[in-house]
Amino acid sequence: MRGPDLRRLYDEHAQPLYAFILNLTRNEADTRDLFQEVFVKLARNPDLLAGVRSERAFLIRLAHNAAIDLMRRHGTRDKTREQFAAEKISLFAPTNEPDEELFRAELSVALAELPAEQRAVMHLKLWEGLTFEQIAATLEIPPNTAASRYRYGLDKLRNRLRLLYEEIK
Amino acid sequence: MNDDFEQRLQRQPLRQVPAEWREEILAAAGRVSKVESREPMAHWPSTVVTRLLALLWPNPQAWAGLAAVWILILTVDFSMRDKLPVMAEKSAPPPPEVIVELKQQQRLLVELMGPRDTRDADRSKSLAPRPRSELDIEILTA
Repeated sequence: MRGPDLRRLYDEHAQPLYAFILNLTRNEADTRDLFQEVFVKLARNPDLLAGVRSERAFLIRLAHNAAIDLMRRHGTRDKTREQFAAEKISLFAPTNEPDEELFRAELSVALAELPAEQRAVMHLKLWEGLTFEQIAATLEIPPNTAASRYRYGLDKLRNRLRLLYEEIK
Repeated sequence: MNDDFEQRLQRQPLRQVPAEWREEILAAAGRVSKVESREPMAHWPSTVVTRLLALLWPNPQAWAGLAAVWILILTVDFSMRDKLPVMAEKSAPPPPEVIVELKQQQRLLVELMGPRDTRDADRSKSLAPRPRSELDIEILTA
């Protein structure tokens, strides 16, 4: 049986998958492990993508489930480590513009303070451009839940970044 | 409808995936793929165990109890089987003294019961099928 074209899958989906997993784990080593876990799973189950309508959505779901499992395994003992990592690893690309760099750093930390469920929804809405229906299908939650998680998350970010945002706007 | 704040968030470029990961991750996935295709049956015991666990998971204690009961039944069954030949051996050859004793008892019994037996035997002979009228005469003359 012929397996999926892993190189093509990687080239097409690696970047969004990486950003999504990094946003959830906030740890480069964990992101690397989960990233590899997704591709190993694809290699081990050649029929996994058979009949899948959206490869991207399917891969994000795989990554999300793997990330949630990992976070449960780590539990509360790693919360300190997660917060520490959140301060060190930025979710965003570096820039030479100081205000923009500051905003990105603050946004990265503010995102890390959100619950993982809200963070996942916000990421898919803001940086993947998915609709609430698509997010709901990807994360296997009701659309209303996706919408409310997004609203709560956005309000928290707005409050957290209000001063900085007004200042550099 | 997106406000300025949301649009600003959306415009933030995300960190790029490290370039060196591509070959490392694809190589790891490729190794798994090769091993799986070379040894398709290599991991069947783990698959069987996984499926068995999935089957037993809802009530592991109940299944363990059932298994214990079966083990007990089988143990008792096998231990009984082991004893059967011994019992057969014990009952097989009676010693000669017992045989002599038994014969003596049998003779004594015959002596004690002998006359009644013969009378009964005779009576049974006399009650052989015959016309009812003859029977009545015989009983009256006896």
